[in-house]
Amino acid sequence: MRSLTEQGRGVRLGAEPPVRTRRRASPLGVFVVGAVFVMIALPIAAVLLRAVQPDGVWGTEAVTRILGSPRTWRLIAVTVAQALASCTLTIAVGVPVAWVFSRFRFPARSFFRALATVPFVLPSVVIGAAFASLLGPQGLVDARGTWWAILVAQLCFNLAVVVRTVGAALSGLDPSQEAAARMLGDSPFQAARRVVLPAVLPAISAAAVVVFLFCFTSFGVIVMLGGGSVTTVEVEIWTRATRQFDISGAAVLCAIQLVAVLATLSIHARISRKRSTSFSVTLQRTDRMPRTLWEWSAVGAAVTVVIIVCGLPIAALFERSLEVNGGIGFEHWQRLGSAAEGTGLSIDPLSAMLNSLLIATAASVAAVFLGVASARVIAHRPGGSADRILLLPVGVSATTLGLGFLLLAGRPPFDLRGSLWLVPVAQALVAIPLVVRSVLPALQSLPPSLDEAGQLLGVTAQGRFWRIELPAIRPAVIAGAGLAFVACLGEFGATVFLVRAARPTAPVAIERLLSRPGGAGFGQAMALSCILVLFCATVLLLVDWFAAGDQGLDLSF
Amino acid sequence: MRIPGSNRSLLWSCCAASVLSLALFAASCSPDHSDSVATRPAGKDSVSAAEVTLVTYDAFAVPKEAAAEFKKLTGASIKVVATGDTGTMLTKALLSAGAPEGDVIFGIDNTLATRAVSENLLAPFQPVGLAKIPRSLRLAGKAGELLVPIDTGDVCINIDQEWFAGKGIEAPTRMNQLTDPAYRDLLVIESPVTSSPGLAFLIGTIARQGERGWQEYWQQLKDNGVRVRPSWDDAYYSDYTVSGGDRPLVLSYASSPPAEVVFSEGKRTQPASTVLLDSCVAQVEYAGILDGAREPELAQKLVEFMLSPAWQKALPLSNYVFPVIDVPLPEVFQKFASRAKDPLTLDPDLISAQRDVWIEQWREKME
Repeated sequence: MRSLTEQGRGVRLGAEPPVRTRRRASPLGVFVVGAVFVMIALPIAAVLLRAVQPDGVWGTEAVTRILGSPRTWRLIAVTVAQALASCTLTIAVGVPVAWVFSRFRFPARSFFRALATVPFVLPSVVIGAAFASLLGPQGLVDARGTWWAILVAQLCFNLAVVVRTVGAALSGLDPSQEAAARMLGDSPFQAARRVVLPAVLPAISAAAVVVFLFCFTSFGVIVMLGGGSVTTVEVEIWTRATRQFDISGAAVLCAIQLVAVLATLSIHARISRKRSTSFSVTLQRTDRMPRTLWEWSAVGAAVTVVIIVCGLPIAALFERSLEVNGGIGFEHWQRLGSAAEGTGLSIDPLSAMLNSLLIATAASVAAVFLGVASARVIAHRPGGSADRILLLPVGVSATTLGLGFLLLAGRPPFDLRGSLWLVPVAQALVAIPLVVRSVLPALQSLPPSLDEAGQLLGVTAQGRFWRIELPAIRPAVIAGAGLAFVACLGEFGATVFLVRAARPTAPVAIERLLSRPGGAGFGQAMALSCILVLFCATVLLLVDWFAAGDQGLDLSF
Repeated sequence: MRIPGSNRSLLWSCCAASVLSLALFAASCSPDHSDSVATRPAGKDSVSAAEVTLVTYDAFAVPKEAAAEFKKLTGASIKVVATGDTGTMLTKALLSAGAPEGDVIFGIDNTLATRAVSENLLAPFQPVGLAKIPRSLRLAGKAGELLVPIDTGDVCINIDQEWFAGKGIEAPTRMNQLTDPAYRDLLVIESPVTSSPGLAFLIGTIARQGERGWQEYWQQLKDNGVRVRPSWDDAYYSDYTVSGGDRPLVLSYASSPPAEVVFSEGKRTQPASTVLLDSCVAQVEYAGILDGAREPELAQKLVEFMLSPAWQKALPLSNYVFPVIDVPLPEVFQKFASRAKDPLTLDPDLISAQRDVWIEQWREKME
């Protein structure tokens, strides 16, 4: 992400690579980072405290019970295994697709690239619902509770990460190196293996680590497709906390997961560091029309994969939402405004959607303000610990945050559990890192000479921010805001702990509607999922339109 | 570099967007706040818009006519908030104890009752009609002051007799036969972790096989291909052959056979299923008043009304359970609902002490 964005901005501003300097951050910025840090640290601390204070007093009962159970270790092994398998599958499918998309120009390429990206911005519950409509009790085959269904759903969800990250690295690669290898007598395969692969390997491994992390803490997809028999650590945290009323046991599992996530994040940090130093990039177009039959069939294969993995589930969602007693009709859509009886949902789906929109708007506005302020502090002090702390919520599982917030909210002096602000605050926290990640590279690529010129002309610090810095980073802010909004709209893991039953968000409503297969809610759930798809895709398109460059929305890690 | 004007417009649009969103949000919040403040004095004048919130499990259906009668009586309508299966409902209520999502909670059963009592979830209440309820259904000690029995039912294995007749296989008649290879891959049950019939059945197996033998029995069930689903809906509607699934033995209720006849809307005059009487476990469902309820007086009225003949008579056909007071049963129940004479049951104190350990051991073995 960093290399790509830097390269783009560098060209636009016509400057040499900026020299990063340590400058003093504004007190307001430091305060914001401090506040965000406290907001992240407090729920995590509340969870960890509960693990060692099961009944309000210090005790090792929960820790020994969970660590002493062979089932816990089986669960950890299964979670790691499924994440590794998902990660391998996603890399195996994603890298060739990325290669085709970055090497060849072909009709409707940007459409298919967008199609491969859309699932990533969709709520995980919607992906789960889409695959449940294909592979559930009312689908082609009932494959709930099988691992392959989950692997395919996670492939759909994470394909974008690989296609974007590896694609960015591939299209930045100087093709003359490959040509030179060919001239020296390498076959195309050898040239790819000996020249291209080493150059993009850091990008592949960075993408692999991110996909591993996402699958390791995957929640919505497994809840929807697991059928109760397939669980991972993340789902087990939820089961223990909300089904078994074993809060301290859940807290111990959160701690175990936190350790694993931190280890994975540090591996990712190491790879990213290596990546940003060892890159040789070009700004030339590196793509061309396919020439041989072999090249055309590679394009055909890549397009087919994207259609099957990403297009089919979404299409199934729409088809199912229109299916009425074997025919086609808008009945499910028309019924969205009324609460169907026996669906376990106490309000109508449209109100849930409205709820979601309001909460996501409030949360993402807050996330943009806090995220931009935080990114400025980090940009001023590169390599500081603020960097890592703010990225923590990406890795810390949503259920941990949700459980932490719930424990915190019920504590004296305030009881905020009935408060309407609890969900937006938690969602903002989940979204802040997305804004930071999107804005930070743009800030870092600003040449310091711009700021200095403003200073020379006597512009105040505030004026320099509004009139120089903000306009220059505007595309990144818009992209961050868009990502934050879709993330909040689809947030499930934390929301499900905090939301009140009388006021569910759309993803929670979908999960509730689909958890009762006998009920009348299936069609409503499908229609509601379609609305979410439309919202997320629209936001993605708008961001693409306003903010993104050649490559489309920057999703690489 | 851009001209300053566009910066301003960005600034203004940012501010406008945030103000607008906050305003929208505040607008959406305000009704909730206003009714939390305004409706507190439950005098005769303010009763017209009154509402009492009933927290319950997903499958519960309010008997409509009885609810209308309640409204006529008190002026308050009943708002239902379903929060999941029984176990989930109770956990959610426990996690929000003190800041409840409603006024009355209904659906806590005898297997989970002590969990509800151990935390400060409920406010004590002794309704007027309590004396009409058989003593055997009431809870002893502190639990008895907090929880009021509303209905009973038996959790039993249901047998799709038509399926067995079609295959020419003899249907099982005893619980121990479920581990017989003749019935391999035929049984679907619910998880005791998430579902209340699931937990009742686990307790039933412990009552039948003893604390020593139950794990061995479950091992045999597992070896014999038992399928475990998270909820009753899942098991009954997706997997039971009567609903179009592939398993002719399902963990359900003694009242499911009459329900089949009612739900077939005239297509069936006779249920396809019978119950495996020897597997039946007694289940009692209780109601209680949530501590911190907004409408404590209406909550008391609702619990009392749940014991009235109007509500009790409606329960069999709205929720397929048996009343706790002496009212006539509907004809379909008299004909097709068979109740075990001596259903499986365990000492409440033993359940209270061991339940979480048993669930943990069950998960260790089965998951």
